[in-house]
Amino acid sequence: MSDENKFDRGTALSIFSSDRLEDFIALVISLIIAASVYFFV
Amino acid sequence: MIYTRKTPALFIIGLVMLGIWWLTTSGMMAPVLNHLGTAEKYAGEITTLALYFGVVSFVLGLWAWLGKHKEGNVDYFLGTVAGGMFILIITMLVRWFLAPEIAVLGRSFGEVGETGKYIHELLGLNYIVIGIVTGIIIVNVFSVPEWAQHGVRLSRLGLKTGVILLGTLYSLAELKQLGKLSVVLVGVFVLGSVGVVLWLSKLRKVSNSMGGVLSAGIGVCGVSATVAASPVVKAKSVEIAYTIGTILLWGVGCMFVFPIIGHLMGMGYVQFGAWAGTGILNSAQVAGAALAFQPDGIETLKVAEIFNITRVLFLPIIVLWLALWYVKQEQTTQEVSVGRVVIEKFPVFVLGFILMFALSSTGIFAPAQHYQGKYFDNDIAEEDLLSTDQLAILLSQTDKIERDDQKQAFDRLVQNKKIMSIDDDDEIRGLINSGILSEEANSILADAHKHVRHEAAKIRVFRELITWLFAFGLVGLGMQITVSAMRQAGGQPAVIGGIVGLLKAVLSLIVVLLFVEETI
Repeated sequence: MSDENKFDRGTALSIFSSDRLEDFIALVISLIIAASVYFFV
Repeated sequence: MIYTRKTPALFIIGLVMLGIWWLTTSGMMAPVLNHLGTAEKYAGEITTLALYFGVVSFVLGLWAWLGKHKEGNVDYFLGTVAGGMFILIITMLVRWFLAPEIAVLGRSFGEVGETGKYIHELLGLNYIVIGIVTGIIIVNVFSVPEWAQHGVRLSRLGLKTGVILLGTLYSLAELKQLGKLSVVLVGVFVLGSVGVVLWLSKLRKVSNSMGGVLSAGIGVCGVSATVAASPVVKAKSVEIAYTIGTILLWGVGCMFVFPIIGHLMGMGYVQFGAWAGTGILNSAQVAGAALAFQPDGIETLKVAEIFNITRVLFLPIIVLWLALWYVKQEQTTQEVSVGRVVIEKFPVFVLGFILMFALSSTGIFAPAQHYQGKYFDNDIAEEDLLSTDQLAILLSQTDKIERDDQKQAFDRLVQNKKIMSIDDDDEIRGLINSGILSEEANSILADAHKHVRHEAAKIRVFRELITWLFAFGLVGLGMQITVSAMRQAGGQPAVIGGIVGLLKAVLSLIVVLLFVEETI
């Protein structure tokens, strides 16, 4: 996991500091997409 | 640390995307698209996606190249765009040009034996697999460019967003059909795999923490389960890395082998989805295998994800089991806070999936009974009813139908000149698939089916978005699979992972073939 040293924020696999935060961001993006599809399609 | 690199790379990516858009809208790309046979299928995508993302890349590319950057959130988050667009343009080139070219080549060799399929279909060489392979080649042969490394870390976010949105394709009515089966099948295999890994770990004298974290990774849902279970069994970093390496190595193999076996055995979408969702260890690779098996639709992906999500739902149980097991093995009085681990580690994106599923079941995106946007409505126009001639053809075939349920649905269709219910529609589709009626009669039944099945525009858009999000995530995933990460899977964890993985794959294949019917 030496790749982690390349970034001082996030991890080698994610720009977010934790899995949980990444999950929440994914949820927010999904809700925005769902609302856009609901209103504009 | 400043993340945005002063390089023209993103600007050039923008120019390439805009170039593709311009060549397509001006008609100069037409000969290429006609040669690839994708003029109808992808022209719409190319003229919109290449334009929108091309403009974004062009503008932000200029900013990255010529602007002044300083540490902060603007630099950190906008700095990811270059890597994100790097993955995206590879996905676009593979989906629009490379994969269709390979398909053209595959078709030029003709169908393989009696399979009725071309070589590229049997090998599962579609844009998803080619994209992942491209990612693996880039990272291992050329290495991911320095300016893109920050943004490549967005790929998992893409996969999680895709999984959440996948919930929009389900409805409660449909889950009832698959729910019990997936829970029983997955439950047996999850609990069985964890048990076997723990037993083998003890047998081969692997440490309790290694065995514990490996059992969660192999039994439940790969990387996220590994991470979730690691605090409970006090796993060291190297053990987590070993487990992830083992899962990824096995998963990559499965991702390529499963679709080939599925095609060779002539498995249906539901059967393959159930097998992939049960037998493959990592969520992303379940999606990869399902899309590789069926690149032009996501029926398989949907079923695989139902099984996969069911597997994820076992996480709290497994975490609880491992905590109790670990405490017992270590004979220590040190307390392990199981409840806290469950609350803190249960993947929120799975809850997001359930939320989308609940919204979808209310009928806000499509009628509540929909199945990936397709729903039953037999309030059809007079001219869509069966004609007298068609009825005569169907009636001449009545004696061939042996199953009572199919016969009753068939009789109702003939009496009413249209399919009368969603259950009847399933029966009629089963009748068509069984191939016992004449080709002409089957064609009439297929038309009757089409007239009562409609597709919701909103779900169609969701489906396209999900496919892109998964393609994006999996190409990025490929860029994270280094040879050294694969080598880390060597040794005991790989042996145990291989034994249990193979056992799980073979047993689940047998169970799926025996108990899963090809009904949607």
